[in-house]
Amino acid sequence: MPAYAIETENLTKVFRSRWPRRELTAVDNISIRVPVGSTYGLLGPNGAGKTTFVKMLLSAAHPTAGRAMVFDRDSREPAARAPIGYLPENHRFPTYLTGWDMLDFYGALSGMGAAERKRRIPDLLTQVGLDERAHQLRLGKYSKGMLQRVGLAQALMHAPKLLVLDEPSDGVDPVGRRQIRDVLHALEQKGVTIFLNSHLLAEVELFCREVAIIQKGKLALSGTVLELTSGSGYRLEISGATEQMETELRSRARSAGAANGMLQLLFGTREEANQALDLARANGCEVETFGRTRSTLEEVFMKTVEG
Amino acid sequence: MNSQLIPVLALIKDTFREAFARRIFWGFAGCCTALLAFLVFIMRIDVVAGALATITIFGRAMPTTDVQGLVHQTQSVIAMALYFFGMIISVFASAGLVAAVFEPGRIELLLSKPVSRSLILLGRYLGNLLVVAANILYLTIGSWIIFGIKTGLWGGGYLLSSLFTIFVFGVLLAVIVLVGVLWESAAVAIMVTFGIMIVTPILQQRATIERLLSAEWSRNVVTVLYYVLPKTSDIGVIIRHLILNEAVDSWMPVWSTALFGIVVLAAGILHFRRRTF
Ligand SMILES: Nc1ncnc2c1ncn2[C@@H]1O[C@H](COP(=O)(O)OP(=O)(O)O)[C@@H](O)[C@H]1O
Ligand SMILES: [Mg+2]
Repeated sequence: MPAYAIETENLTKVFRSRWPRRELTAVDNISIRVPVGSTYGLLGPNGAGKTTFVKMLLSAAHPTAGRAMVFDRDSREPAARAPIGYLPENHRFPTYLTGWDMLDFYGALSGMGAAERKRRIPDLLTQVGLDERAHQLRLGKYSKGMLQRVGLAQALMHAPKLLVLDEPSDGVDPVGRRQIRDVLHALEQKGVTIFLNSHLLAEVELFCREVAIIQKGKLALSGTVLELTSGSGYRLEISGATEQMETELRSRARSAGAANGMLQLLFGTREEANQALDLARANGCEVETFGRTRSTLEEVFMKTVEG
Repeated sequence: MNSQLIPVLALIKDTFREAFARRIFWGFAGCCTALLAFLVFIMRIDVVAGALATITIFGRAMPTTDVQGLVHQTQSVIAMALYFFGMIISVFASAGLVAAVFEPGRIELLLSKPVSRSLILLGRYLGNLLVVAANILYLTIGSWIIFGIKTGLWGGGYLLSSLFTIFVFGVLLAVIVLVGVLWESAAVAIMVTFGIMIVTPILQQRATIERLLSAEWSRNVVTVLYYVLPKTSDIGVIIRHLILNEAVDSWMPVWSTALFGIVVLAAGILHFRRRTF
């Protein structure tokens, strides 16, 4: 049993155009490892190279240098793609197929027999929230959200061990996002590895345990979400401070603000925070909240991308 | 074995589905049906003891001498119509069908399946060829049966000729596939294929052209082009010979055209395997 679902070594993709003569390194020397059973998010602004990276995993794009392994097999072998379920970005599914036909077609391409396909299709369509009517409706008449759902069902058709989703909540309403997340959580419980491409921080933060942030094709940062967002300081919220007290506390804090009649203070160390807390209590203030702050993934992301 | 057969069959079935979702194939099939209906209801042939008594078209009796000659003439007219107009419709329809596979957003998903790229392309090629073959065989076998019932003549040359029509389409389809892989454009594929269909009758007259050309090299160019490109007009002539039960002097046009088709299809597959999408 391989330890990694995805392993890339110095994966690089250079797009060259002859006229006008131009070179663009869309993916630059990226080496990452995605452990089996993890939920992994590849995060980056538009044009960072996420889609190109994924296309190389699926061998839709050929690497200029380096290589990608999927469950220890080189991604260029057709058999390496057998355990992957893939939902592409900006997909254009054949409009002449019904939802049912589409799953049947792509299931057959994965080598599934007719009986097995017939058994699985209605369950899957229902699981992603498409009703009976949608099963027999042509994809040309599907809404964007429905296409995204049927696309997900398609990716799940052959019970993949690795799910690769490129911007999965693109065009889906909040209820749909929630449903999709529930489906993904259920898969995670079953040990399916989920690799998710997104420019939406919230999506990755809600779902993934590990992230890699890429920018301009380069790997900027990677680690677990917990590591990346961990401890940057302490937060104290109090009410009932006199003006004099407030001035004193503000001068000690790294930053401060007021909202809803409450004074909010941020301290860099635990010691400073505790001293301020003692001072405030001794002077008749009420403590509303006290705790360690975590930076949001957004802060980490913005710092990485801008700094 | 089985694991490769399921995807290929699925690709062929998918091509049929997509073809039937397009009006142009229904138009083609409709024309064939209309022609068959014409033969059944409009043309009446009364045969008395192997010799023709009368042939009536639109209720008017036509003077004729021998039934065999008449049937052969009619069959070769249908075969030629199929060979030229049917081919043009098929090229139009297929160019779109082939280019559709390379659409961004669709090709990635197809490539992500555990099927080799060669099989993906061959599956589409085969599916497309079968769609067109079905149309051609529908008209040919249908009219062959009608002629047989009405006249008692069941000669096989007419049936055989339709296989050559399908074969030539297969070669043109290889060109469409290659152009599709190179430029993803139905319009360019149609232009190139029609270019070949227009140039080959001209090249067929190379004896005349060579007399008009003074420079040695230009005569050589014409000769090389003639031998390299598919010989659609020569094969048209062969088809006529087959139907009229005449001897075919040379099969060179057939095998050299086949060679061209194989090379072009192989080039298409090779390029498809190397491309990034
Ligand atoms: N087929 C291609 N030819 C040339 N450039 C491309 C091609 N595909 C992507 N790119 C370029 O590569 C860069 C990365 O694109 P992409 O991987 O789609 O980014 P992301 O998915 O992170 O938004 C972009 O600058 C894009 O324009
Ligand atoms: Mg993208």
